[in-house]
Parts: sequence; structure tokens; C-alpha cells
Amino acid sequence: MKAILHVIEYDFRNFFRFRWFVIGLIAMNLADLFISAVVFTQMTSVVDYFRFFAPGLAVVGLFASAFMIGREINMEVRREIHHYMLSLPMTRTELAVGRVLAGGLRGMLYMTPLLITNFVVLRFPSLPQLLLILLTLLLLAIGISGVSISIAVSTTSFEKFVTARGVVYYMLFFCSSVFYPLSVIQVLNTKGLGPLVTFAQVNPLTNGSDLIRSFLLDSPEYVFSPLMLLNVAIFCGIFALLATLAYAKILERQ
Amino acid sequence: MGLRRLWFVIERDLRMFIQYKFLLIMRAIWFVAQVALFGLIVNKMVQDAATEVGISYFNYYVAGVTIITLYSTAMFIGYDIFEEAEHGVFEYLLTLPVSRRELVLGRSIGGGLRSFIYVGPLLVVSLFILGVSNPIYLLVAVASLFLFAFGVSGMSITLAVAMKSGDKFDIVTGVLDALIVRLSTTMYPVLYLQRAMPAYASIANFNPLTYASDLFRWGTGVEGVLQFSPLVGVLGLFVFFFAFTFVGVVFYERRLEGGSWE
Repeated sequence: MKAILHVIEYDFRNFFRFRWFVIGLIAMNLADLFISAVVFTQMTSVVDYFRFFAPGLAVVGLFASAFMIGREINMEVRREIHHYMLSLPMTRTELAVGRVLAGGLRGMLYMTPLLITNFVVLRFPSLPQLLLILLTLLLLAIGISGVSISIAVSTTSFEKFVTARGVVYYMLFFCSSVFYPLSVIQVLNTKGLGPLVTFAQVNPLTNGSDLIRSFLLDSPEYVFSPLMLLNVAIFCGIFALLATLAYAKILERQ
Repeated sequence: MGLRRLWFVIERDLRMFIQYKFLLIMRAIWFVAQVALFGLIVNKMVQDAATEVGISYFNYYVAGVTIITLYSTAMFIGYDIFEEAEHGVFEYLLTLPVSRRELVLGRSIGGGLRSFIYVGPLLVVSLFILGVSNPIYLLVAVASLFLFAFGVSGMSITLAVAMKSGDKFDIVTGVLDALIVRLSTTMYPVLYLQRAMPAYASIANFNPLTYASDLFRWGTGVEGVLQFSPLVGVLGLFVFFFAFTFVGVVFYERRLEGGSWE
């Protein structure tokens, strides 16, 4: 456990090296909420868009920051820093688990101000609701970190990593209820894009953001279901395991 | 000023652009995802608003995304200049048999031209979706997009040479991207910016992205009537182009003097 904590500490220190990047990211997130969402609120009667989008924004922030761990690991693989990592007094599994958890926890750290903004502009949840929200987001963050690490170790090319990240990012975000309600996404059925609607329904980002909405929006459209948590937990389990195995494997191979 | 030498500088920047192939592919994927997913779905969500202002939101958005892509690729030149300063390529450039003015002007033109070449195929896709109602209007619109691309390239060079810290450059371009795109009519009509907050609309009215996207919509017939005369839009883009190309060139030229980039 101590070894894993050391790895997490190492990754947190690295995270603060990118503080300028993170500040830029926060600016973009806040501009999305306080400019774009405010304007779209005037344009649509389907939902109160500002209130609808605020929980989605927390998930956007969580995703972007949890995904950053992959960029660092890809860089380490390219620059062969893993030789140094292997010289550390810990097992490969501890190292791999530590990296996956650190990616998730960094996502949680970055997302916290965005979640607090949600509480301020929507409402404060009860303690059990808050714990459920945090648990779901933590699982989601670890799963995203897992996806990112799995992609990062599968290529030594930074450009290929960036491209793969883009594809995953756009698929997960645009086919989810982060930006628009699931009821509106049904329009894709009429354009012959039915599989994307199904993907949106099982997308962990949809379940994560709808779970927050179920506690903060007081809307009959968003009701908490344990299946939401289960969906995110399965996503987390699969990708955390995949990333741990892939990371340990790449260290072994090289 | 030797045109041949100027062309060599432009050609170098065009060749360097190829090295971003994966980032360019990613931008293209972003464009497709924005159009085929976000555009289609949000079109459904804002149908009442689109009817109110007499537009198809999907078409409106396709035109806006084209301009955002043009903007973001024209901004790449600033990153190139920053990298060159960091890796000592400036010294090499100064040894070349081209004058500083040719070098600086070539970079500015190269930055704008390469973004236009990249956006070319996407522009064709957009025109295929949007159609063309008046070819002369379209020519005026495309010509003004050239001014826009060169202006953004000049702005990016100005920012890159005005800052010595890579961190500062990253944050300034990040914040600028966040604000300049959202406080423009690339994604929504000015009427709704006005309703959301009059200050947003006031800023959007002086934003070059607003001029570029509205002129492009006017050129393709997506918006029959503009909130401003097309002449004002072209003039606005010309001022933007002239100011930043001039300022960028002067800044860059001064920075080359005496190794002040180090």
C-alpha cells in the first residue's frame, strides 16, 4: 500500500507541473458554462440548458484531467523513463495500480471546483447523495484513467496517441447525455445512426452525468437507479484491469 | 523585397505543417463529429429558436465549425515559432540569405496560407452541405476568409513573440480560444447572445470570428440578411488582418534583433 501511495504522490507532483495547462482547461470549462450554456438556455425550450449542462461540465472536467495520465505515460514510454521506474523498490503490479489510481484521483481533484460550482448553482445534495456522487465520479475517473493508460501503452507514437485520444473523446462525449438529453439524441435514429443511440444509453459518461442530475435537478426525468452506478462500476472494473495488465506488460516487454 | 526568397519562407512553413499530420487528422475527426453528431442533435434541440430567426441551425452550425477550424489551424504558427525559439532554430533562420522582413512576412503569409490549404477540403464539404446561392457573394466571402486566416496567423505570431514563457503562451492561447470562439456568432445567432447577456453580444459584434462566420453564411446563403452590411464585415476583417500582420511583423522583427528571444 505504501508503494502505491508513493506512485500516487509522484503522479500528483507531475500533475502540478501542468498547472498552466490545467488553468487553461478550467477557463475553457467555465466559458462553456457561463457563456455557451447561458446562450443555449435562451435557444431551447427542451430543457433549462444551464441547469442541465452544469453536471455534464463536471464530467467533462473529470474526463479531461483523468485522461492526462495517459499523455505522461506515453511520454515516459517514448523517453524510456520506465527503466528508472523499474528500478524502484516496488512490484510492477503496485506500480501499475498506483498509476491507474493516481490518474483517477487527479481527475477528482480537478473536478472538485466544478462540482462545487454545481452545488452552488443547482443545490447542495444530502450527505448520502454526496457520497454516492463522489463514489460514482471516482469510479468513472479511474475507468477513464484506465482507458487513457491502455491507449498510451499501445503506441509509442505521441501523434497516434493524440489521434486515438481524439477519437475516444469525441465518441464518448458526443454520444452521451453530457451535452444534450438522451431524448434528443434519439434524432440519430432517423438518420440511420441507431447504434450510436444505443452506445449513448450505455455510455458511462451518460450514466455518470445523469446520476448527478438525478440528485441535483429535482426533475422527474432524472431518477436515480442503481443501474447507473453499476454501469460506471463495470466500466471502471474493465478498464482499470485492462490498463494495469497492459502497463505491467509493457514494462516487462521493454 | 525578393518574391522568390519570400516564397522559400512560405514554402518552409507549408512543409512544416505536414509534420502535424496526426493533429490535422484529429482536427478533421473533430470537424466530422461536430457536424454529424453535435450539429444534428443540437439542431433538434433548438428548432424553435431556429424558426424564430429563420435559419436551419444545422447549416448555421456547419458554417460556424468551418470557421472555428480555420481559426484553430491558423493559430498553429505561434506554436512553431515558440518551439523554434526554444530549440535554437532562430539562429539557423537568421543565417539564411533572406532579409528579416522577408522572413517575418513569409511566416505570416505561410501561417495563413497553410491553414487555408488545410481547411480547403473541409470547406468543400461545407459547401456541399450548405449549397451556394450566389457565386459572387461566395467569392467575396472566401476572399474575406483569406484576410481572416492571415490576421489570425499574425495574431498568433504576435502572441508567440510577445511572451518568453511557454507556460504563459499556453495559458493565453487557451483562454483566448475559450473566449474568442464562445463570444462570437460561430455557434449561435447574435440575437440569443443579446438575450443571454447584452455584454456578450457587444463583444461578439467586434469579434473577427463573428465577421468571418457571418460573411461565410451570407456567401453560402445560410443567412440571407446579415445584422451588419457585408462591407462592414469585410472592412472589419481587413482592419483585423492589417493590424495583426503589421503588429506581428514589427514585433517579430524586433525580437529577432540581438537575440532577445533567448
